[in-house]
Amino acid sequence: MLKALWFLFRIELRLLLRRSQEWLYPLVFFLIVMTLFPIALSPQPQFLEKFIPGCVWIAALLASLLSIENIFFTDIEEGYLEQLLLSDISLALLILIKLSAQWLVTAVPLILLTPLLGVLFHLNLSVMFVLCVSLLVGTPILILIGSLGVALTLGLQQQGVLLGLLILPLLTPVLILGINIVLQMQAGLSILGPLAFLSGLCFLAITFLPWTIACTLRISLDD
Amino acid sequence: MHTKSILNAVNLSCFRQQTCLFKSLHFSLPAGTVLHIEGENGVGKSSLLRLLAGLASPASGEITWNQHAISDWRANYKENMHYIGHSNGIKLALTVTENLQVMARLALAKKPIIEPLLSSLQLQTHAQVQAKYLSAGQRRRLALAKLFLFPRPLWILDEPLTSLDEMSQTFFLARLKEHLALGGISIISSHYALILPDTDLKKLRLGAC
Repeated sequence: MLKALWFLFRIELRLLLRRSQEWLYPLVFFLIVMTLFPIALSPQPQFLEKFIPGCVWIAALLASLLSIENIFFTDIEEGYLEQLLLSDISLALLILIKLSAQWLVTAVPLILLTPLLGVLFHLNLSVMFVLCVSLLVGTPILILIGSLGVALTLGLQQQGVLLGLLILPLLTPVLILGINIVLQMQAGLSILGPLAFLSGLCFLAITFLPWTIACTLRISLDD
Repeated sequence: MHTKSILNAVNLSCFRQQTCLFKSLHFSLPAGTVLHIEGENGVGKSSLLRLLAGLASPASGEITWNQHAISDWRANYKENMHYIGHSNGIKLALTVTENLQVMARLALAKKPIIEPLLSSLQLQTHAQVQAKYLSAGQRRRLALAKLFLFPRPLWILDEPLTSLDEMSQTFFLARLKEHLALGGISIISSHYALILPDTDLKKLRLGAC
């Protein structure tokens, strides 16, 4: 069983890496949005130091929305989702595997890129580190809630717009907690509170959402 | 050798967007029988097969496998069934070999022995080719490979003969006959006549409700 899961995880990774647009577009999108903020707001170092962490979070949120939109698209087109549903492994586990691969390929490069942006925007080292930690804990939630939205809007026309309307409000708490971690750090306070909250949310999402997504997909295909 | 199994459908009906596709459908398929579902396009053949595979639930009626309703015994039923829909269920970005491995892993089957299967399906020269570069008939053959990769008593197949050449059709029908002789059950929708001499072939013609 574990062997099968590990194999399927590697296959999902391979699939994502073979279609470079899956991870390259969100990453480039993230970079471009990040370069727009100083142009639109102000290039002054004191200002950037204060506001760039929030901008990183918003850009990461939008990039994850972009990468998640088509997550089940080819699987449905190719009839592969039906085969997952009929598999002897529970669908929730298969979803968890798929989303872990998705996170590794789309969110991790973005987190790795953040220190580079930090240097560009005059962030100090500790703030940069805390920002990365907050993204590390926060991005799995973005992907899980995002794919729940995709599963709910499956087969609808204008799915993209509705998806945004549906999940952006749900992602607000994640954004608030994520930014709060960095703000506390900058104010010289302990970051443990918001970090514990965000980690709690993350574990809650990892525990319950794959199962919810599996149920939603089963209902969406029952038609 | 499969143990004696039986699939029953009682009073099945199916609606789609408020229109009735079929209603009060009854049939009973003991071991060794094949059900050929016929009918024009859009008459509900694929919908019926999806009901039988447990992917959709009927508006009324019940499907039982060895006297257990499949909605209650889903895990057990899944282990006994192969379903291949009209979209093949293979990942086009994976190679032929990778696709076969995924099929086996999803079924928690043993590490598959792939080479002889590929040569009997005439895909041996394409083992490392991504499925998107295969022709429609080759993709169909790859999808059907699942049936022979690990044996299961019930086959539910949506148009398995479409886009296969004559030789592959003959090969498939021969394997189907072996499957039935071993006590398997098969439900097949097809626009082609199924030429299966000396087998228990039932026909079901779906028409207007």
